[in-house]
Amino acid sequence: MTRSPTGRLVAVLLALVLVAASCSKRDSSNTVTGGGGGTGNNGQSSIDTSNCSVDPTKPIPGNTIRLVSSFPQSGLTAAFSEIADGWKAYFKMVNTEQGGVTIAGKKYKIETKDKDDTYDPAKTASNISDLVGSGSLDSVFGAFMVVGTAGNLAIRQDLAAKCVPDFFAATGSPALGDPSFPWAIGATNPPYTVEVKAFAEYLKKNKPNARVAVLAQDDDFGTAYIDGFNQAIKGTGIKVAKVEKYKPGAVDVGTQITSLAATKADAFLSGGTLLACPDSLKKAVAAGWRPLTYVSGTCASKTLMGLAGSAGDKALTTTNLEDPLNPKWANDPAMKEYRTKAKQYSPVANLDLTNGIVAYGWTQGALFVKALQAAKAPTRLAVMESVYNMNGVRAGLLRPGFSITTSQNDRYMGEKVQFGRYNAAKGYFEDLGSPEDFEGRTASITPKAVITGNG
Amino acid sequence: MTLFLQQLVNGIGNGVVYGAVALALVLIYRTTGVLNFAQGEMALFTTYLAWKFARSVPVAAAIALAFVIGFVGGAIIERVLIRPVEEARSPLNVVIVTLGLFLGINALPQLIFGTDSQQMPKPWPSDAAPGDVVGTTRAVKVGAVSVSWAVIALALMMVAVCALLWLLFQKTRLGLALRAVASNPESSRLVGINAGLTLMLGWALSAGLGAIVGPLVAARSTGFDASLMQGVLVFAFSAAALGGFDSVLGAVVGGLVVGIAEALTTQYVDPLNGIEVLLPLLLILGVLLIRPNGLFGRRTVERV
Repeated sequence: MTRSPTGRLVAVLLALVLVAASCSKRDSSNTVTGGGGGTGNNGQSSIDTSNCSVDPTKPIPGNTIRLVSSFPQSGLTAAFSEIADGWKAYFKMVNTEQGGVTIAGKKYKIETKDKDDTYDPAKTASNISDLVGSGSLDSVFGAFMVVGTAGNLAIRQDLAAKCVPDFFAATGSPALGDPSFPWAIGATNPPYTVEVKAFAEYLKKNKPNARVAVLAQDDDFGTAYIDGFNQAIKGTGIKVAKVEKYKPGAVDVGTQITSLAATKADAFLSGGTLLACPDSLKKAVAAGWRPLTYVSGTCASKTLMGLAGSAGDKALTTTNLEDPLNPKWANDPAMKEYRTKAKQYSPVANLDLTNGIVAYGWTQGALFVKALQAAKAPTRLAVMESVYNMNGVRAGLLRPGFSITTSQNDRYMGEKVQFGRYNAAKGYFEDLGSPEDFEGRTASITPKAVITGNG
Repeated sequence: MTLFLQQLVNGIGNGVVYGAVALALVLIYRTTGVLNFAQGEMALFTTYLAWKFARSVPVAAAIALAFVIGFVGGAIIERVLIRPVEEARSPLNVVIVTLGLFLGINALPQLIFGTDSQQMPKPWPSDAAPGDVVGTTRAVKVGAVSVSWAVIALALMMVAVCALLWLLFQKTRLGLALRAVASNPESSRLVGINAGLTLMLGWALSAGLGAIVGPLVAARSTGFDASLMQGVLVFAFSAAALGGFDSVLGAVVGGLVVGIAEALTTQYVDPLNGIEVLLPLLLILGVLLIRPNGLFGRRTVERV
């Protein structure tokens, strides 16, 4: 190959292609068109079934409930696949020890099938479309725990047309409670706007005139934090000093932190996830800036906080689950069951039980089994209605005193949160203060555009 | 003013990283005429090796070991994968092979070492507090501005590498042979240069350089995983295009320009908040429109 202008052109073009490829994975804003319509007139149900291409009132044939899922199993976000290890272990336990789950007097085994999407929403869509097919009950009952905001937004339109449920989307995005899409519901993650509302409440009590610097990812995930926090501090003495955004996937947010540190804000809302989160904490310390810090619930993992190390000391976050790393739960019956059974029924060797996301997956499996048991009939519609009719349901590793309540008008499950403060020397979050309960209020504390995506 | 200077230092910190990877790109381009898209991933793999070695030997020794493996590995890649397609005479073939290597070598450490983020021990002064696995890089205070030892170390490494490359290319017969082969493999063969050997050496040198740069970049980061070089590579290509693909000095200056521009954009240009990556592309476009060979690149003259 000789040095030619063509060679350079090729180089620049390919560099552009690389950039484009890396950009295409960003949460793209969803296009909401009509949807299924919120309130129907189908008996007591407010789920409109008039446009369903597959009848959602048909009972499951045979005695197997087939769930499908899509999540990253290779690539950089492959760690998310451990969520599935948690729920698979739970379903296996139910199948083995109880012979399955009982719906309206009949026992059904739970069978699952999943595909790798490398966290690419386009792949999520094609995976789910392959797995669901025409939506026939012979092959699928519903999607379960599909990982990621963008992935779930990418599949919900198609699933809604077939009236195939998208159960427990693994995201804290308030968009998964959009009443226009009753066939999709998020998991027990506290919605991102509930997280920042709780932080605003905490500031009101402890630093009523706080000036807050905000770091957020440049996509829907970051927007939920920024807009949610702005709404939460309306009418208070709290002010946003500055907002800096970073490109999804960034590993170094040093320049953003220098800019935020220069504001000398006395509080820091670190809304980043993955490597940007621990990096933001390290860079803040390096800048000599020690504000009162809140980290995203998505950052409160063993891996990410471990990377932050001492720089994460005293950082706050919120959760609604028992943390397997925290020895205070050692004698808790739910934790004991998790420790023995998740290990016994683990689909993989060497499952890291101390990893919070395994415990999270386990909990979703447990809660879903409860929703199935409470359903009036083995049909998609009845199970979906059961999911929207939970009244103080406790399952899995939900903290003592925490339960799930939903209704047709309240499509959010994790609305009560407990503050935790990171103890770097011990390597886990210690409980701080008493829980904040926002039951039934997510929709009202979330800016409308964040729910509908019409920002 | 302090803020401006601090962002300037941040920019230089990122700039030396971009420059260092750009240097490896330029090195392989100058010696073999190939644009190596797998450069970053080759460095990634040797970074994982260095990280693994650093568990049993001091980190400097681990990097030295990784260098040796990178050097040999680079030579093997050239001999086994690049040479057969290069003989087909189409520059696109080699580019496609390097793109394949990009994907393949990116997947390799994920298969061997897993996808969790890891922490590289720091080959420069650092402090460890309870809860830290590898400690926090110390910084030097210059007035109100703090300069991280990571930046100092990377900058020193870059100066040393530039000096060594200059000596190699300008002052040794081997360097002359390397340049000759890159510029015209056929004629250089006719004058008795072992073109095969020099091409292999070009790949070896560039992979070896990557094996030094990679671990330093990883040690500078809070954590690293298989994406370590992907963000960097785009900026490194920008740096190399900006400086001119055949100029060592151009790579360094290009890296610094891109890094500083990025940092100052973050601080002062709010509309580009979060999409600072636009900036290097605009810079490249601008420079290539005015100077198609980059700031320091030599113009290609062809005899008709």
